[in-house]
Amino acid sequence: MNHAARNRASRRILHLHLEPWRTWLVAGVLGLWAVLLIGRALYLQGLQHNFLQDKGDEIAARRLTIPAYRGMILDRDGRPLAISRPVETLWGWPKKIDRYDAHQLARLAGALGVPVAELRRRIATPGDGILSLDRDLDPKQAARITELNLPGLQLQREFRRFYPDGSVAAHVVGFTNVDDVGQDGIELAYNDWLEGRPGSRHVIRDRRGRIVAELSPERDARQGGNLTLSIDLKIQYIAHKALKEAFEASHAEDAGIVVLDARTGEILAMSSMPDYDPNHRANLTPRLVRNRVLTDSYEPGSVMKPFTVADVMEHGLVTPDTVIDTAPGYAVGGKVIRDDEDFPEQTVTQILQRSSNIGAVHLAMMLTPQQFIDNFRSVGFGAYPDTGFPGESNGYLHPWRTLKPVDQATEAYGYGVSVTLMQLARAYMAFANNGVIMPLTFLKRDPADPVQGVRVYPAPIAAAVRRMLMTVTQDGGTAVRADIPGYTVAGKTGTAHKWVGNRYAQNQYYATFVGMAPATRPRFIVAVMFNDPKGPNYYGGLVAAPVFAKVMGTALREFNVPPDEPMPPPAVLTERAAPREPA
Amino acid sequence: MKLYGAQPIRLTGELDYGLLWLTCGLLGFGLVMVYSASLPTAEAARFTHYNGYYYLIRQSVFVALGAAAAVAVFQIPMRTWQQFAPYLFLAGLSLLAVVLIPGIGKKVYGSQRWISLGFANLQPSEFMKLLAVLYAADYTTRKAAFMNDLKKGFLPMAGVMLATGALLLLEPDFGAFVVIVCIAMGILFLGGLNWRVFAVLVVVLIIGFAVLIVTSPYRMQRVLGFMNPWADPYGRGYQLAHALIAFGRGSWTGLGLGDSIEKLFYLPEAQTDFLMAVIAEELGFVGVLAVVLLFSWLIAKAFLIGRRAARLERHFSALTAQGLAIWLGVQGGINIGVNMGLLPTKGLTMPFLSFGGSGIVANCIAVGFLLRIDWEHRQMMRGKTF
Repeated sequence: MNHAARNRASRRILHLHLEPWRTWLVAGVLGLWAVLLIGRALYLQGLQHNFLQDKGDEIAARRLTIPAYRGMILDRDGRPLAISRPVETLWGWPKKIDRYDAHQLARLAGALGVPVAELRRRIATPGDGILSLDRDLDPKQAARITELNLPGLQLQREFRRFYPDGSVAAHVVGFTNVDDVGQDGIELAYNDWLEGRPGSRHVIRDRRGRIVAELSPERDARQGGNLTLSIDLKIQYIAHKALKEAFEASHAEDAGIVVLDARTGEILAMSSMPDYDPNHRANLTPRLVRNRVLTDSYEPGSVMKPFTVADVMEHGLVTPDTVIDTAPGYAVGGKVIRDDEDFPEQTVTQILQRSSNIGAVHLAMMLTPQQFIDNFRSVGFGAYPDTGFPGESNGYLHPWRTLKPVDQATEAYGYGVSVTLMQLARAYMAFANNGVIMPLTFLKRDPADPVQGVRVYPAPIAAAVRRMLMTVTQDGGTAVRADIPGYTVAGKTGTAHKWVGNRYAQNQYYATFVGMAPATRPRFIVAVMFNDPKGPNYYGGLVAAPVFAKVMGTALREFNVPPDEPMPPPAVLTERAAPREPA
Repeated sequence: MKLYGAQPIRLTGELDYGLLWLTCGLLGFGLVMVYSASLPTAEAARFTHYNGYYYLIRQSVFVALGAAAAVAVFQIPMRTWQQFAPYLFLAGLSLLAVVLIPGIGKKVYGSQRWISLGFANLQPSEFMKLLAVLYAADYTTRKAAFMNDLKKGFLPMAGVMLATGALLLLEPDFGAFVVIVCIAMGILFLGGLNWRVFAVLVVVLIIGFAVLIVTSPYRMQRVLGFMNPWADPYGRGYQLAHALIAFGRGSWTGLGLGDSIEKLFYLPEAQTDFLMAVIAEELGFVGVLAVVLLFSWLIAKAFLIGRRAARLERHFSALTAQGLAIWLGVQGGINIGVNMGLLPTKGLTMPFLSFGGSGIVANCIAVGFLLRIDWEHRQMMRGKTF
């Protein structure tokens, strides 16, 4: 090794010198990085704060709705007609459910009460969003599912409408759709009142879905309001039952009944046939849902006669005992009007009792067309009955200016006008309530807050017509079957040929009975209608009157209305007392 | 460059108490944040027996073990450490090999980095960083004469690093490899490696890392996620998106200790790799700034101790102290950078703060070395020799 080389080597060893600049350079680079980190933190936490916060909320923040239940619909005594029942919807995250083992799947299927294969089919739905595994779980089932403690499941509380009385009050109460929005009846008419407003919460949830923070103050849910109807469930029940039995026995196309409180205008019962069960919406068809009482208008026949009688009497033209020439065959405008049974002459009372068309025409012709039509109009025909019910019809009433004599003649006995059963019941309030028609309502009236009625006849006229109508249910009348033991009954039958195609069908009828009791001081009006009852009992007095009697009798007893007629001799007791014949 | 050297070295007291308290402060803060970040997952996990204190208890034990290890390290003169440095490094290398043996090495999330010790896992790569500092410092001291010579000065070290790197990449533990390469290169550079050679090497290394990234699908994915986390915030960009959301939500002063939302199962590894995100969310910019400043202070102290050793011509001590500074600085810098989306997602913990037994013990030992080096200086001021 030469000297120079050794010298160079030794110098290197001797001069191993850790130069300070190298340290400062390395430390400086690290220091710069630290400054960069602080700058980045300023950028992220200062400048980008809002952007990142929004991104975070996108993932973690959720708006939850607090379900609000729909108000109950109650009858006048607080019995439930429609209630909202809490149900749970089970939501599942397929990604997590896919990882279930056979045992877990079986347990879930067991809790849901479905076969495992069915559960697999529901899970196999394509898409990786959440899916609804089951709806309408009752709270007990929901609790069982919670106990399973399986991942990827969530229960959501909802409310489902339930109608405890099924079809009984269906045509009054109506029903709601899947989204709990009223579709028909009271449910539709008072939807705004019944409907709850769901509340909401804006929350932060952790990745497992638990709520960890509230972002904004929650909006409270507003529960729906309860609604107390004028309906009396017991009367509704008997009205529905009696109508249904008669409807099925008569094989009528459809039928309707309405019960009014004669003094307040409250609707106590309303039923329509064919009926439906609002709890099973899937089975609904327009034919079943259609309300025959309010939405169907028809030519009512003889039930129209008392109004003309009342008007003629009000004009002082006749009294109940005035004898009218009712010789058979009244010819008007090329048409000959006939009666089923011929009488040369009858009193006004007898005309109503026997329902004489010729008599009615004689009386109608005493009035000018304007008087005649205005009389109908004053009791509400041709106008909406204003019950607040959706879909109510106003019927049809001829304008008096174009009224020909033949029209006036036929309309006197109920052809050529078109009315609804509700309009009829309402108009009969004029007789029942001493000449005053009260506004109709489906809501219970507060007795302390009376409403104003409209006077259409003087009280004595109304009372006189009522007395005449009492004869209808007595011997010699057209509706003896409407008689109720212990009570006086006033009423009128109507049997009208149905207009089919372009003519009146010979063997198809509308059969109607409208009546009130007790006739001396009426509490209730019951109107019953059958469309095309088959068989020999097509007369209003034969098919509709018995239903009237059954419903009215129940209503009178239900409301403890004191009997106003001496009870007939106890024939039944005498019979029972008689010695039995040996078998 | 006489700025520092112009001042006479004046050391009062027995120890660098500033460094000691700084370390204790970081460790204590780390315990609080590990507890906060881990509580929801610990309470919900079966393997912790639903014990919310699971990570806190473990981390406390690790800190205690680390303190004991630091005290033990402190007892041994640096000269002895230098003598054993190559052997220790060899021991470390063999542990890196052992961890790869199936049945001994434990696999978590596809990486085989741990050796199970029963109550905790040993992660050799954490200790390897420490041993790399000692080895590189010793190597540079021994080869000081060849620092201008690529063949004799650099290549032997490069061979050792390649062997280490190969073992680390087999696990794989890319993060540890990056840190160790930084340590080795840094110490060579500080030891006087020709700067032109160094510059070329840096370029070569950057290209090498780029190749490693592009050739590995999972690394590539992490890089893509890092470029634009919002392109796929539920997939590739998931971790980073949630870390960034945590920073953003924290804003200036944070949501308050314990109130992080991202730690509620959104942010994976909240108590380890993404602890900084939880700190940022709960304590805000104030918390992040405090961590960066405290950490920078600790590293500055390490550099200063190293410079002092250099002026006292204690080359091994000088390079060890500065090597430790590079290690902690690079690892901490990468960890925070990853949390903030400045760097692709890397499995590197935050020194002194993140949960992890091997990491905490290795960090404590590093401080033990720094205190020992400083203590030797203080003794020399009083005329003692080592």
